[in-house]
Parts: sequence; C-alpha cells; structure tokens
Amino acid sequence: MKPRRPIDPYWMLAPTALLLALFFFYPLLFAVEKSFYDWDLLTPPRYVGFDNYRALLESGELLDAFTTTLSLSVVVVIGSMALGLGLALALNRPGAFASAVRAAIFSAYVVSWVSVALLWLWVLDSSAGALTLTLRKLGIPTLDWLGNPRVALYSLAGVTIWKIAGYAMVLFVAGLQDIPRQLYEAAALDGAGAVRRFFNVTWPLLRPTAAFVGTTSLILSFQVFDVVRVMTQGGPVRSTTVFVYAIYEQIFINLRVGRASAEVVVFFVVLLALTALQLWAWRGKPKGARA
Amino acid sequence: MSARTLARRSLVCGSAAAIGGVFLGCNDRRIPPGRTGVSLWFTYGGRNREVLEKLVQAFNTAQNRYYVHGVFQGDYFEGLAKLRTAIAARAAPALSHVVGEVIPYLAEAGVLEPLASYPGAAELDLIPELAQQKSWVGGDAHPLVCLPFNRSTPIAYLNGEIFARAKLEPPTTWDELRQTARALTLKSGDQVQRYGFGCPISWWFWVALVGQAGGEVVERDGTVSLGGEAGVRAIQFWQTLVADGSMKPPPGRDYNAWEATNQDYLAGRAAMIWTSTAFLKYLEDNARFPVVAARLPRDRRFAVPTGGTHWVMVRGAPAEEKAAAWEFLRFMHEPEQAMAWATRTGYMPVTRSAIGRLEREGYYAKHPNDRIAVDQLAVAMPWPWSPTLFRVQQEIVQPRLESAVFSKKDARAVLDQARALANRSLG
Amino acid sequence: MSRLRNLALIAVALIWLLPYAWMLSTSLKTLPEIVAAPAAPLPSGLNFDAYRAVFAAMPLGRYFWNTTVMALGIAAIQIALALPAGYALAKLQFTGRAVAFGLVVATLLIPAQVRFVPVFVLLADVGLANTMTALILPFGVSAFGTFLIRQALESVPDSLIEAARMDGASELRIVFGLLAPMLRPTLVSFFLFSFVYHWNDYFWPLVMTTDDSVRTLPLGIALLREQGTGVRWHIVMAGNVLLSAPALLVFALAQRHLLRAVVSRSP
Repeated sequence: MKPRRPIDPYWMLAPTALLLALFFFYPLLFAVEKSFYDWDLLTPPRYVGFDNYRALLESGELLDAFTTTLSLSVVVVIGSMALGLGLALALNRPGAFASAVRAAIFSAYVVSWVSVALLWLWVLDSSAGALTLTLRKLGIPTLDWLGNPRVALYSLAGVTIWKIAGYAMVLFVAGLQDIPRQLYEAAALDGAGAVRRFFNVTWPLLRPTAAFVGTTSLILSFQVFDVVRVMTQGGPVRSTTVFVYAIYEQIFINLRVGRASAEVVVFFVVLLALTALQLWAWRGKPKGARA
Repeated sequence: MSARTLARRSLVCGSAAAIGGVFLGCNDRRIPPGRTGVSLWFTYGGRNREVLEKLVQAFNTAQNRYYVHGVFQGDYFEGLAKLRTAIAARAAPALSHVVGEVIPYLAEAGVLEPLASYPGAAELDLIPELAQQKSWVGGDAHPLVCLPFNRSTPIAYLNGEIFARAKLEPPTTWDELRQTARALTLKSGDQVQRYGFGCPISWWFWVALVGQAGGEVVERDGTVSLGGEAGVRAIQFWQTLVADGSMKPPPGRDYNAWEATNQDYLAGRAAMIWTSTAFLKYLEDNARFPVVAARLPRDRRFAVPTGGTHWVMVRGAPAEEKAAAWEFLRFMHEPEQAMAWATRTGYMPVTRSAIGRLEREGYYAKHPNDRIAVDQLAVAMPWPWSPTLFRVQQEIVQPRLESAVFSKKDARAVLDQARALANRSLG
Repeated sequence: MSRLRNLALIAVALIWLLPYAWMLSTSLKTLPEIVAAPAAPLPSGLNFDAYRAVFAAMPLGRYFWNTTVMALGIAAIQIALALPAGYALAKLQFTGRAVAFGLVVATLLIPAQVRFVPVFVLLADVGLANTMTALILPFGVSAFGTFLIRQALESVPDSLIEAARMDGASELRIVFGLLAPMLRPTLVSFFLFSFVYHWNDYFWPLVMTTDDSVRTLPLGIALLREQGTGVRWHIVMAGNVLLSAPALLVFALAQRHLLRAVVSRSP
C-alpha cells in the first residue's frame, strides 16, 4: 500500500531506527574500534594496533575459548534436539496427562538460568547433593561433577539440555501436528512400518522445524554465560571458560577493555559464520513440503 | 477491555515504568533525614559480614551526624570489578575495601583519595606491617591512600585430635611437612579416606612458598621474576605432595577451592590445611575436634605474605561523603572496634593499642590460636609497589598454577613461559 | 502396554519435577538437618528460618520491584515500538523497505554480550549507568517482536486499512486502534514472553548495575552462594524458590499464551 504521506513510514520506523543505531550498530562499531586500543576504563585509551589480537592468539586464549564453547555446543545441540524430538514423539498425544507431562518438562525453560544453575549446583554437589547421594546409595560410582576438569563442562552441558529440552520438544510437537494425517495413512497403506514412516514422512516435513531448533540451540549454547558464572566461574582449571565468560573476565577481572573488544569481534564473526553454516546445512526444501 | 485501551495502557505503563523506575533507582538510600549518608561497599559473606554489619550499626547509633549504608557486592573479585566499573562510570561509593595487590594500580591511576591530610590520620597508631607503611616495599614513600581493615596471613590449621593420637608436632620445615603429611594420610585400598595435607592451589599460598624458598615474585627494580628458582621450587613442592598422594589439590576457581579446603578440614578429610587466619573463628566454631593453629614452615627461611583488604576512599566522591567515610574509619580504628573485629573473626587487630589491650586482658593467653598470625608478622613479606602486580596475579600466575599442579607439567617450563608472557604483555 | 508407557512418561516428568521438589524441601530444612541427613527427602517440619534469613540478607521487596518494573517497561516499550515499525514494514511501500527489514533482522545476530561494554560506556558518559534506564532502554526494540507483528499484519487485508483511512483515521489510530486489537493474541503472547525473558535476565543487569539500587532479583539471589564459610544450602534454596516462583506462576496462569509465542517462532 502507498503510505498516506511519504514521510509516514520513516517516522514510524524512527524510534526503532534510533534505538537500533544507538544500542546495536554503534556498539558493534565501537567494539571494532576499541579492539585496537589498550584501555582499562580508568585511564585514557592507548593505541596498540593488532596487539590485542596477537596476544589473544599467542596465549591460546582464543582457541581455548572457541574449543571449550564448541565442545559444549555440540553436546547441547545434539542432546537437546534428540531429547526434544524423542519427547515430542512420545508426548504428541491429546489428553490432560500428556499435556501435564509436557508442561512439567517445559517449565524448566520458563525459569531463569540463575534458578536452574543454583538448583543444579545443589543437586550436583559432590558431598551432599541429591545426585551424589542417590548414586552412592545405589552403589554406582559417582564423579565430582563440577570439580573434575574433565567432567565439569559436560555437567554444564547436561544442565543446559535439561533447561532447553522442553523448548525443543514444544517446537517439535507443533511441527508434528502440522503434518497431515493422510500422509501417514497413505504410507501405512503402502505397507510402511513405524520406522519407515518416520524417515519417509515425519522427518522430511519436520526438517524446517529441526533446522530452526538446531540453529537456535546452537546460538544459545554459544552464548551460555549464566550457568558458568553461577556454577563454576570458568573453572576448574579453566575447563569451563566459554567465549562469553572469557570476555566477561577480560573486562571485569583483568580490566582490559581493548582485549575484550577484540575477543568480542572474533565472537561476533564466529557467530555469523556458525549461523551461515547452519542455514546452509539445513538448506533446501524437501519434496512436496508446504512453503 | 478495548484494544485501544490495551495499547494505550501499554504505552503509558511502559513510559511510566521507565520514568518512575529511573527515579526509583536514583534515590533509594534509606538515610535518616538530617544525616550525611555514605555508601560502603563490602565483600563479605557469612559470619564476617554479620560482624561488619553490627559494627556499622554501632557507628550509626553512636552518633547522629553521619550514616553508613552498607552494600553487599559479592566476593572480592566481583566487588573489585564493580568498584572499578563504578569509578569508570563516575558512580562510585565513597568507601570500600580492596586487596593489597590492586592498590598500587588504583593509586597510580589516580582514583584513590589521599588520606594523610584528614584529621587524626597520623594518630591512628597502626601496626606498621599491616599498614601501608610496611605492607608494600617503600609503602611510606607514597602518599597515604589506604588503611588496614581485615588483615591476615596464611596459617596452618591442624586437627588436634589426629595429631595428638599420632603424637606428631606441627612441622616447621618443608621436609617435616612432607613426612607428616605422608604419615597422616589414610588409605583404604585405592580410596584416600584422609589426606595429610590440604591447601588451595592459589596465588597467595604460592607467594608464601616462594618467600619460604627465598625468592621474590617481583624484584626491587620492578622486573617480574616470578621468584626465579624459588618459584620453581614452590610449584614442585606442591607437585611432590600430590605425587606422594598426601595432598588433594582442591579444584574449583578462586574461593571455591578455599571453601573446599575448609570443608575437608572440618569433615576430617584433611589432617592439616593451610588457609587464612580469617577463618579461625569459623573453623573453631564448627570443628568437632580441637583446632590447633600453627605457623607456616620454612624452606630456606620463614616467610608469609599478608592478605585481606585495606580501606580505600574514592577520590571522585563528594566531599561530604568522604568526610563521613573518614569518621567511620576513625571509629573502626578505635581500640574497642579493632578488638571486636579481630576477636570475632580471626583477622588481626590493626592498631598497637588494640593488640596491647588484648594482651593485657589475657586474651591471647586464653586463645593461643589467635596469636599465631600476629607472631608471624615478624616474617611478613611486603608486596612490591607494582601497578601490574594484580595482572601478574590474575592473568599470568593464577591461571597456570592449577594446570601446573593438576597436570603435572614441568614447573620450570611453566614459569619460564609465564615470565616471558609477563615481560611481553606487562612492559 | 499403555500403563507401562504412562509409567515411563511419569518417570520422564519426574526428571523435571524432582529437582524442584528437592529445592523446596531443602528450603524448609534447618542447617543442622542438612548437615546431618542431606539425603532426607522431606524436611522434619515446616521450618521457615531459611526464608527469614533471605529476607534479612537483602532488600527482597526492592529487588522484586526493580525486576518487575524493568520487565514491564521493556515489554511495553517493545510493543509500542514494534507496532508502528511492523506496520510500516508490512503494509507501506517506501524506499529502503527491504534494507530496513534486513537491518532489523540482522540485529538478532548482535547479542547482548557483544554490545554491553560500548553501551555501558555510552550510558556512563551521560550519567545513566546503574539506572533503570540502562536496564530498559537498550532493549526497547525487539527484532523478534517486530518480525512477529509484521508477519501477523501481512495476513490482514489491505482493504480494511483503506476503509479506515477513508473514514478519516490517522495512521497512528489505525495502528493502535484498529490493528492492535486484531493482533491481540499475538501481542499478549509476545508481551508475556518478553516479560518473562527479561524478568529472568541475569547478564544485562549484572554488567549494567554497580550497586543494589536497581539490582534485580536474579542477581540478588545469585549472590546468596557466599563462599568461604560454607554454603548455607537451605538459604540458597529458599532464595531460589522465591526467584523461580513468579515465572512458574506466570507459566501456570498463561501457559497457552506463552507457548503460542514460543511456537510462533518456527517458520
């Protein structure tokens, strides 16, 4: 439609544009600029060229943050998608009972990350936590979930999956309900068993949903911070220092704003690349799918 | 409800909330009318926090001109981070307390208020080793910017029952410690039921070991040597104890490790630990065995770093708030308060008159454990007045200590690498 | 077979419910109880000491108020801005429309962790650091909300708008008076979703606030895990109950709407 007055669309978008410029685009440019300086917020910034990037690369900090975050992310994405899909398939049925179970699972997504982190900090406590005590009672050997550097990251991944599985499940349920019943009936008439039906009917039509869940859980897992801050503070032995936590530390503990900005720039580029990669990996419409 | 109302309501609500919220956020100090208020940002939890809050309350009721409003900011690191960002945002409180390692940096950055010209500054009768004068090398050459608050040294805590049964004395040398730890480690099969020794793998204790091995972390001329050979010996000492199986290096970052050490001690899982004198009252109260405090042993010499925090005032704060803060500081340094603080927590009394009175009243005779930290002051090492010291701690040393001990890396290689990094990045 | 399946499903639900029950149970115990018998599933009695301690340790009422005001403010402003923006992007033809839309969506790729230092410095320079404005304004635009509204408006026939125009209604009145009511389900869902999301936010208040004047509840409760002298779990869990309850309450009351917002994100 043509606007009433030519200026209309512009002033309608003006507040949005202003806030976006101030709080999204300007910060991005600022971060890029400051990444070439050494600055501690208390004294004037000092130009250092590419030193920050060099230091981050040489100290291995960038690579460590990336691999730590990637390890966490792989587990979280695969885990939450698999769990979400499994729960959706099991709970995609009418009735109050299934609805109640779905609600119970989704409730973890609704509370704050701090809430979940504190809760699991207590449950995973290596001396008095519920999980440790239960395992001990059952005679199963228990680990120091948050204190063992080889295990801590995966404990955090587990906590993350616990929180977001409900989200994946709800999305998959919606996706499943979009699949027309006739397709299943037709497949069944063709003699396809449950497994064949899944791969020939369900999965192709669920791909867009799966793509969405995969992309969002990837981005979410790369931005993980709260659980790390509350549960392990990046330790033990830096085994849970994910990207965002490393940035936080650079600013608040080391007071190196320039270096943190360099890390932020790299983080942003990585996120962009991952998103592009995800979109490319899930590309292509399956045959016969609705637009 | 019509949708127009809904939309309008949202707009009005939103703006009102935003605007009202700003005002709400701006002025919520709960200062009684007629008084000058000052914010004190503190970073204690638990028991020590309660003691501090009671003292703040005592100050507020003892006079009616000023009012101190305490704000809890988390642990040392969180609190320090917030203080620095607040200073950068020009929204800092007038009064806070920070660890010694960061004071030279803050002082050189010009954000700390010089204190020497405040009334009564020279008559505070501070113990030199705890005050700026001797806490740093050449501390009195710099303008006075801090006053001692909760000052501590690391000490050894022994499980009295276990030691009595094994008829062992507190170790006084590294070798004795190693043997004692080995003797007191109890295994059942593969599982260790009790470690002979526990210690957080942390900067402070590493500095203690470096000092005991005869080294300095930062040389007098400012070079970051990380103790040289002594630094290597320090890490190797820990590695030996872990290899012996008599020390469990508690994992966890920063205070998680300290906490784990305390809990291990209290639960009888470690016969002897090194930790701060600050936990003395806490451990004495919660242990089900007699707690025996002892000095740290020597390698080449006896040496301990000092720890805890110092009071600082922020230069950019308004003058009335700084005046109020100063009155509070004077109050805290009076003998009653200094004694109350020390005897209720385990930190050392910071004035000579306070210590004198405690001695005269027979306090130390009744509480010999409290005496240990005070006695160790004789071998306290001053910190270098180096603006990069906290970076050495946070960026160079602390991240590498855990991995060096945990993954049994070659101590010399780790320190060489760290030293090179320090010289490159810290100039 | 069906009974077995139901049992299995109950077991699954328990994985999500038991931790909360444990949290509640712990919050009602006393410290000696926890030390002596940490595995006891039920508390010996309804002991509210832990809750008293939480209230004594921090100005809970103020934190709760701060958090609610902040979340309400954000959600309200987001809707107020997204409606006209979504309308312009959906219904009006103008130069640069595609670019504008692209830019809005692009901001989804610039997360808070990338923005916070510059925003902090910017706000600090004008004396707005550590204020409610710092918590609300940077979230005034929701790309997601704008996208949602645009999408919803695309299915509104142009003829309706043209009719309203001919009746003499101004564009603003069309957007807020005519279209907003039609979008009511979407708006309600989005409002709830944004409200809960920002109510729960930890990172932004953590980096934007320096003292406790505008501190939010998640920050306050996270501070309960004081280190060094033994974590007092019953107090931490009591705080956690207080932190989780509002979100769970909103969820219980408005489950349908929340779910709609979540699901509507899928293509």
